[in-house]
Amino acid sequence: MDRWLLVAATLLAVVGGAWGMISVHHGRRSSWTVAWMIAVLLCQIAFLALRGEQRAACPLTDRGEILAFLSWSLTLFYLLVGPAYRISLLGVFTAPVVVVFQSFALLPGVLEADPGKVAGGNPWHETHSATSVLAYGALALAAVAGVMFLVLDRQLKEHHLQSGLFHNLPPVRELLVSLVRLLWLGGGLLTIGIIAGFAMPHDQSALGHLLAALAVWAGYALLLGVKTVRGITGRRLSLLTVALFILSLGVFAFV
Amino acid sequence: MELLCLGLNHRTAPVEVRERFAVGPAKLGETAAGLLALTGVAEAVVVSTCNRTEFYLAAPAANEAFDLLELHLAEMTGLHDSAAPHFYRIGKFEAARHLCRVVSGLDSMMLGETEIFGQVKQAYQAALGAGSTASVLNRVFQRAFGIGKKIRTETSIQEGATSVGSVAVDLAEKIFGHLKDSEVMILGAGEMSRVTAQSLVSRGARSIFVSNRSFDRAEELAAGMGGRAVRFDEWQGVLERVDIVISSTGAPHAIIQRGEVEKVRRARKFRPLFFIDIAVPRDIDPTVGEIEEVYLYDIDTLEQLADEARERRQQQIAECESIIAAELAKLNLPGV
Repeated sequence: MDRWLLVAATLLAVVGGAWGMISVHHGRRSSWTVAWMIAVLLCQIAFLALRGEQRAACPLTDRGEILAFLSWSLTLFYLLVGPAYRISLLGVFTAPVVVVFQSFALLPGVLEADPGKVAGGNPWHETHSATSVLAYGALALAAVAGVMFLVLDRQLKEHHLQSGLFHNLPPVRELLVSLVRLLWLGGGLLTIGIIAGFAMPHDQSALGHLLAALAVWAGYALLLGVKTVRGITGRRLSLLTVALFILSLGVFAFV
Repeated sequence: MELLCLGLNHRTAPVEVRERFAVGPAKLGETAAGLLALTGVAEAVVVSTCNRTEFYLAAPAANEAFDLLELHLAEMTGLHDSAAPHFYRIGKFEAARHLCRVVSGLDSMMLGETEIFGQVKQAYQAALGAGSTASVLNRVFQRAFGIGKKIRTETSIQEGATSVGSVAVDLAEKIFGHLKDSEVMILGAGEMSRVTAQSLVSRGARSIFVSNRSFDRAEELAAGMGGRAVRFDEWQGVLERVDIVISSTGAPHAIIQRGEVEKVRRARKFRPLFFIDIAVPRDIDPTVGEIEEVYLYDIDTLEQLADEARERRQQQIAECESIIAAELAKLNLPGV
C-alpha cells in the first residue's frame, strides 16, 4: 500500500509538471500546477504516515524513505514559497525534481519492502534526520529557483524574449530574493540538524556522514557569507546553489 | 428602431477637425441627452477620445437621423459643408460590428490598445446616467463589452509592447518586478529618454536622476519629473546606486565604457543593472553587456521587439474579426 502511494505521488507530479509545461509552452500559466502539487503532497503525507507507523519512528531509515521525505519537504516548501512569492511557475520546475527523487526511491531494493520497527529511538537522532531532510527540501527548492534564474538570465542576455516560458517566469529580482531566503531557511535547518547530529549517540561509522554534512554546511555558510558581505552576481549565486545542492546529495552516500 | 453610428476618426479627419467635435468626459452624458431633442432620435451614446468622436443612436428612420445629426453637429461646431466629407455613416449590423471593433482596439491608431475599452465604457455609463439609453443601445453596448473582454482573453491582440518606450518598461519590470524599489538615471535630456523615464515613474520607479551636458536642461527635466539633476561629470557616482540607466546623448562616441561599470560592481554588490541605450550613435560600449549582471538593450533591439509585437497583433486581426462575427451572429440584437 505505502509503495502505491509513492507511485501515485510520482504519477501526479508527472501529470502536474507536464500540464504546467504544456501551458507554459502555449504562453499561459496554469493555476492547476498548484492543485496537482497539493495532491502530490497529500499522497506523500499518506506514504510517510504509513511508513512512520510501521517504523514507530520518523520514517528516515532507508534511502527510499529519505528520498521520499526529501520530496515531501521540497513539495511542502514549494507550496509555502511559490504562491506567496507569486512564482507559481516554480511548480513546473519542482515537479521534475520530485519525480526524479521518488523514481529513485521506487527502484527495486531502495525502499525496504517490509520495514521493521526502529529499536531504541533517540530524540536527537530523529531531530537530526527530520531537520536535515527538511533543510534539503529548502535547499533543493533554492536550486530549482537558481535554474529558473539561469534560464531567464540567458533569455534576457540573448534578447530571446518571445517564448511562453519567458513571459511566465517571475522577475529576476523576485527569483533572487526567494532563492536567498530559501538558502537562509535551508542553512538554518541544516545547522539545527548538524548540532542534533553531533549530540546524538553515534559510533565511528557515522563520523563520515557527519563530516560530509559539516562540509556541506560550510559550503552554504560560505556562499551566504559572500552574498551578504561582498555580494555576488545572480548567475554565480544560482550556479553555486545548484552545484552545492548536487554535491550535497553525496552526504546520503554515508547513510 | 435602427442602430446607427455617425463618426469621424484619425483615418477620416485631421486633428484640426477632430478637435472641433471632441466632447470632454464631463460632458458626454449631457451631450448624449441633448441629442434626444432631435426628431426621431430615441437613444444616444457619445464616444469621444483623442482619435475619434462617434455618435451611436437608435432611431426609427436611419437616413433621417443621420441628416439631422450632421446638421446639428454642423451648427454646433460652425463647420458646415467642410465637415461632411470627414464623417462616416454606419448602420444596423455594421454599426454593432464597428462598436465591437472599437471596443477591442481593432480600430485604434495603436492596434489592440486597451485604453479605448475604458473610454467607451465611460461614455456608455455617462449616457446611461443621463437617461439617454434604452433597450437598443443598452444591449448593444453590453454585448460589445462582453465581446471585447472575450477578445482580450482569447487572443493576443493586446499582448506585447509595441513602442520602444513600453518595451523598455516591460523589460525593466521583468528584471526588477515592482519598480517601487528601483532608481533610474537618465543620461542626456532627449525627448525619447524623457518619455521612457516618465513611463518608469508612472509604473512606480522610486527616483530619477538626470544628467546632461547642459546642467540647466538637466535641472529643467528633473524638475518636470520630480527627480534630481546631476552634473555630467558626476554621473559615474550615481551609477553605484541606480538600477536602470537610460542613455540618449548626442555624443559621437560611447560615453559609458566597460571599465566605468566594472569599477562600481563591487560597490553595487553585483546587483542587476539594466542599460537602455536609445542613442545613435550608441552611448554604451557593447562590451558592457558582457558583464554578468548587466542587461544591455540598444535602440535596434528595442525597435525589433516592438516590431515583432506589432506583427503578432496584426496576425491576430482575422481571429478577432471572426470572434466578433460569431458572437454577433449568436445574438438577436435589436436595431441591427
